[in-house]
Amino acid sequence: MTGTSGFSRRAILGATLATPFVARHALGDEPIKIGMPCALTGPAGEIGAQMRRGAEFWAKSVNAQGGLLNRQVSIVAQDTTGDPATAIRKAQDLVEREGCRLLFGMTLSSEALAVAPKLADWNTIFVSGDNGDGRLTGESFVPNFFRPNTSGPMETRAIALYLRQADFKNFYALGMDYAWGHNSIGVFKDEVKKSGKNFVADIYSPIGTKDYSTYITKIRQSGADACFLVLQGDDNNAFLSQAKQYRLGDKVQLLTSIVDLNSIHAVGEAAVGLIGSSRYTFSFPGEANAKFVAAWKQEYGVVPDVFEGEQWQAGRMLEVAIKKAGSIDADKLRPAFETVEIDDIKGKVAMRACDHQAVQRGFMVKVGRKEGFTDPVPELIATFPADEVTPACRQMTYDS
Amino acid sequence: MSDFLPFLVTQCLNALSQAALLFFLGCGLTLIFGIMRIVNFAHGAFFMLGAYVGYSAVHWTGSFWLALIAAPLVVGGFGAAFELGILRRLYGRDGHAFLMVTFGLTLIMGEVIRLIWGVEALQVKPPDSLSDIVFIMDEPFPVYRLFLAASGIVVAIVIWQFLERTRLGLLIRATSQNAEMVYALGTDVALVRSAVFGIGCGLAGIGGVLAAPLVTASLGMAPNAVIDTFVIVIIGGMGSFLGSLIGALLVAFVQVFGTYYFPDFALALMYLIMLTVLVVRPGGLLGKEA
Repeated sequence: MTGTSGFSRRAILGATLATPFVARHALGDEPIKIGMPCALTGPAGEIGAQMRRGAEFWAKSVNAQGGLLNRQVSIVAQDTTGDPATAIRKAQDLVEREGCRLLFGMTLSSEALAVAPKLADWNTIFVSGDNGDGRLTGESFVPNFFRPNTSGPMETRAIALYLRQADFKNFYALGMDYAWGHNSIGVFKDEVKKSGKNFVADIYSPIGTKDYSTYITKIRQSGADACFLVLQGDDNNAFLSQAKQYRLGDKVQLLTSIVDLNSIHAVGEAAVGLIGSSRYTFSFPGEANAKFVAAWKQEYGVVPDVFEGEQWQAGRMLEVAIKKAGSIDADKLRPAFETVEIDDIKGKVAMRACDHQAVQRGFMVKVGRKEGFTDPVPELIATFPADEVTPACRQMTYDS
Repeated sequence: MSDFLPFLVTQCLNALSQAALLFFLGCGLTLIFGIMRIVNFAHGAFFMLGAYVGYSAVHWTGSFWLALIAAPLVVGGFGAAFELGILRRLYGRDGHAFLMVTFGLTLIMGEVIRLIWGVEALQVKPPDSLSDIVFIMDEPFPVYRLFLAASGIVVAIVIWQFLERTRLGLLIRATSQNAEMVYALGTDVALVRSAVFGIGCGLAGIGGVLAAPLVTASLGMAPNAVIDTFVIVIIGGMGSFLGSLIGALLVAFVQVFGTYYFPDFALALMYLIMLTVLVVRPGGLLGKEA
């Protein structure tokens, strides 16, 4: 039997070579594989790429310190193109074929909502890095889902708290004409009314609008002193570029739901003066953040962007949970994760057991010029306490 | 309303600046259709390529004016080469072949642009002399928009004169009416076709550079542009130069004033006009084929 002789020869060779290492590499010492289905191409590809960099940077730093549970950590990323059906397929593949017991990623909330119901069957824990949809820790909550990042409602909440204390009195709102635009402006409108200020009007631009001149004229004529924007991607870049050309910012303060370095880079000077909520910005204070930013710069030559920071925080929380649990088994990891507290790049962040949302502060930033940077940079102008920013358990709205 | 006059003037200028961009796209598409009887689905991709080439030209030379020259040359040259290398082999086949090939080209160009320039949107700054504002009856108005409107008018006149006064213009008009006859009279029709395809793509390229300071150079430009362009050409009439001008003006004015008075229906209004034209004059306002 040639097969047997071949096998034994290879086995002997292997055993001979491996002998000196047996002591250090105990049984089952293969790496901890974290599956990462995320959108690496398509409209959300840039966000997915940020998440992947954030995860890989975290894994590298963990491995440099000897790994977790004496095992190395490896990230196995796969492209979902931002499509929920593909996300399910890729996640299943990562769990069943690649043997991943943990998941990162899912760039879009629609993907995360599609995958969440499967987690129990797979006996796998999914740690979100950027998913904003309030339902994930609300009506669609599942026990194997954890959200270390700031959610969408929390992001808007920070703006609401800010406008209560700000001087603006009359508000206008411009949003993209689909669910996200209408929902966010709906919440914003309520908040304006609650704070006793005046909401002038709202207007919605079709996705893919290129000419914003008429919208700019309407905002200017409305007499509002601040305008809330719910725009993203190309539409956001087009609006900001044109608003700058019409000097809209001289008359109306622009508030935005998203401040990220990518769009600042795309519009340059036109971003200066913009005020917005921020999940993470490299200019946040604190020693942990300074250390993170310095290490990141050394690795990639640029400062980390929003989702790179958020993904790092997700990694840090998972790291503490695994150490606490002493295992990556879902049933042992879950209770440990529920009590994780870290003091890291965004300050103190604590996971809560009731809906697996990490309780954390809210931040407002203003984009300005800073020496040493070619592009304008966001700088912190207000911080709001975690208990005011995080909604009640399994809720997406706020009572007061 | 004392504010009405300045409002009217600035809105009209807004519409003119927008019409200029739409015209660069529509005019190129219609020229190509007039001569070659093919619908160039890749027109939006050429427009996008213009914006990216413009970005690189500004990046390397620091001059927006050089970008305005470089982009149409590069994009037009690429278009002519594509016609020579690929489209030329397909004449005589039915329309589907061209649709497939130009659609395929759109996908390929999108991916190549992604590989060369990356996924992030890129900023193209207009020159300082155009970045200022002027006050039109106390309303601030960007100089760049005035420049856009003016360049639209200039290019429209240049193309019109080119078609009417030059020998190549004459050949183009003749070829669009009866290609076989022109061929029989000893003109290299194939060369005319390559030239027209190049010119049409070059016009889209200029449009791309000019649009970039308004919308940034981004991968979403192509699909957006191609839809508007088709609407303009369908309204104006496939193959009609004047039709594309009228179509561009109509769409721009309807968009600008429609968005102001009926923001929820502005987009629908554009398609409503297209529908009406299709029902009343199936060949377009100035189209020959009904």
